[in-house]
Amino acid sequence: MATTGISESPPAAPAPPAPAALELRGVTKEFSLRRSRTVTALESVDLTVGHGEFVALLGPSGCGKSTVLRMVAGLEEPTYGEVLVEGGAPAHLVRRHRLGIAFQEHALLPWASAYDNIALPFRVAGRPVDAARVTELLELVGLEGFADARPRQLSGGMRQRVAIARALVLDPEVLLLDEPFGALDAVTRRRMNFELARIWADQRITTLLVTHDVDEAVLLADRVVVLTGRPGTVRHVEEITLPRPRDRALARNAEFHDIVDRLTALLDEGAE
Amino acid sequence: MNGRAPQHGTRALHATGRLLSRYWTVLALVAAWGAWVRTQHLNQIVAPTPAAVFGDVLDNPGAYAPDLGWTLLNAAVGVALGMLLGLAGALLVWTSPVLSGLMTPMALIMRSVPVVAMIPVIARVVGFGTAAVLTITTVVSFFPVFVLAGSGLRAAPAATRDVFTVLAASGLTRLRLLLLPGAVPALLVALRLTAPTAVLAAMLAEYLLGTHGLGQLFARSVTFMDPARAWGTALVATVVSVLCFVGARAAERQGTARFT
Amino acid sequence: MNRARTALLTAAGTLLLLAAMEAAGRLGVLGESWPPLSQVVAALGDPVTRDLLGRALAATATAAGTGFAAGALAALAVAVTGVLLPVLKAGLDRLAAVVHAVPLIALGPLLITTVGREGTPSVIAALAAGFAVFVAATSGLGAASEAHRDVFRALGASRRSTLVRLQLPAAVPLLLDGLALAAPAAVLGAVVGDWFGAPRGLGVLLVSSMQNFQTELMWSAALSAAAISLLAYAALAGLRTAAARRFA
Repeated sequence: MATTGISESPPAAPAPPAPAALELRGVTKEFSLRRSRTVTALESVDLTVGHGEFVALLGPSGCGKSTVLRMVAGLEEPTYGEVLVEGGAPAHLVRRHRLGIAFQEHALLPWASAYDNIALPFRVAGRPVDAARVTELLELVGLEGFADARPRQLSGGMRQRVAIARALVLDPEVLLLDEPFGALDAVTRRRMNFELARIWADQRITTLLVTHDVDEAVLLADRVVVLTGRPGTVRHVEEITLPRPRDRALARNAEFHDIVDRLTALLDEGAE
Repeated sequence: MNGRAPQHGTRALHATGRLLSRYWTVLALVAAWGAWVRTQHLNQIVAPTPAAVFGDVLDNPGAYAPDLGWTLLNAAVGVALGMLLGLAGALLVWTSPVLSGLMTPMALIMRSVPVVAMIPVIARVVGFGTAAVLTITTVVSFFPVFVLAGSGLRAAPAATRDVFTVLAASGLTRLRLLLLPGAVPALLVALRLTAPTAVLAAMLAEYLLGTHGLGQLFARSVTFMDPARAWGTALVATVVSVLCFVGARAAERQGTARFT
Repeated sequence: MNRARTALLTAAGTLLLLAAMEAAGRLGVLGESWPPLSQVVAALGDPVTRDLLGRALAATATAAGTGFAAGALAALAVAVTGVLLPVLKAGLDRLAAVVHAVPLIALGPLLITTVGREGTPSVIAALAAGFAVFVAATSGLGAASEAHRDVFRALGASRRSTLVRLQLPAAVPLLLDGLALAAPAAVLGAVVGDWFGAPRGLGVLLVSSMQNFQTELMWSAALSAAAISLLAYAALAGLRTAAARRFA
């Protein structure tokens, strides 16, 4: 366990460091089933995400990676250990409407237009809708002409763009993405990866991405944390030093393929 | 709560708390009724106190039992007849594509026509008395069964149907193996929908037509200025109708688990 | 193609039902009190009958309409209260079920002493319609998906804001379903309310024509009651189909 060394605290630094953007300390999560039986989803997970860092949580389905994200969003409570966002409880950030989140199911409101869906966080926060900001995000995700379209009139990829725009509209301190492209076909998914890389380079928000797609994780993240097993534990942490901006040229980069192969092998071992 | 057996007292406390959190409104309703009668200084003829009503029911169960039994019998026979006829009708319609055109107008009637409001018409046609009460409860339970069993039969997967055709199963075998398991859940849903309604419809018919039963007991108590008895009748009917619903719902859950 | 076939079969089925009613009347198989439909319609040619029926219809439609509106609003308010104050929810559910199980005949005498003979039909209509709307509103307000709820929670939405921006719009189709079912319930409530001594209405006409052997009048009153509840149901069900496209 100790060899994983996710927290990067330098050994000789007496001054107390500023709180990390996200921090999980010894987090274990148990779910209670019926008849007082419990199942452990995560076992003593430590994880630190610095400000402006993009971390991908990579793992097979059922390893509890989504549970990590849900705890950071305040949707679940850890059974043991501690989840800190900007040094405080997640609920604190949520209450200030400073968290952006997007799920695999886009979860757009079916009765509202793309514009109104993106404007929703303003309304939920009780603030006047900043029309210029909403339009800016529509442009950022490449949906200028679709402000009035309703979700069912948009393609799967377009819906996910709206969902990401909604997550970004209030300029959140932390962005959480739970398999945001999981429901898309492979080609659209790759295109959306490059789109997200471009958008993220523009905004540089602290981001936690949950995915089971190795290419996606390596392509987007500064650091990939590999979770395996049931209960899920941190198996490996990979620093991705590939240069940014990352675009389609990456496909010809030998180092990229090298990392992907290594992480894929790790996942395969973990699956046994 | 979860797991390690809690102290006996705590568990009782929990149970009481749960019961209170669910039924406090009903208790509040009874309390409000009592307070209303007392503060308005209402004549006992207009509105008796809860204590008088509960007391009358508990002290004279014999005064209610025969009429309650009669009403329940009427409702039960009506529901049974209605379900039988409804199922037979649904089977008939299922075998004939021309008759299946009947389903949509029948479904519309089930959802939109106030059948219970037709009590006077039915009484005129079949005669006053028990026949009319039975007809009402039968008609009330006929439509839901007819419509639900009909759509249950049509939902039998075409592939299953083909298998049976290939095996050249006889009509009776098909009925037993394919149709009835498909229709049982529909029958149970229909039972839940109609059981409480049938009791109330029987009472309403008895009240209006002056036959035996709880409805008649109520009418008699009102006429002879016995408010505690009249309200007691209403109380008994309410409890019975709630119990019918709870029982039918339990039967539905059991049956659905068994047949699907 | 398939829809045209269904429509054709439905039309044929409706005609078959009407024809059966007419034939039963002509042949007299169900006795004197089952007249042919044509005879019931012909009776409306008489201006006195028409006037009598018209006034009763207006009274019942008014009572059912006001009861429907009041019952639906009250039911929605109670369901929303259950969402905003979850502690109360279980109790409110049980209250609705018990009030629904109170036999209508028991409410009659009580209502006559409290709201009077004129008001009784609309109050009973409100109670009958209110229950259908309450049941639909409760399940409608819980109809939003888990993913939608998660988004609202992560956005830090208040209970009120979640209600207004998520739960109420998501409830619209089920709510309209409930309203469609509540319309016939309101008509029934108004007719039953008439039986406790209302001065006029279709229920009054039904009972008096039954007692006086005015067979055509009785049938025209019954068919009028059926017609208004059918029309109200059809209108609301149509609205629901339109809304389902908008809200889902």
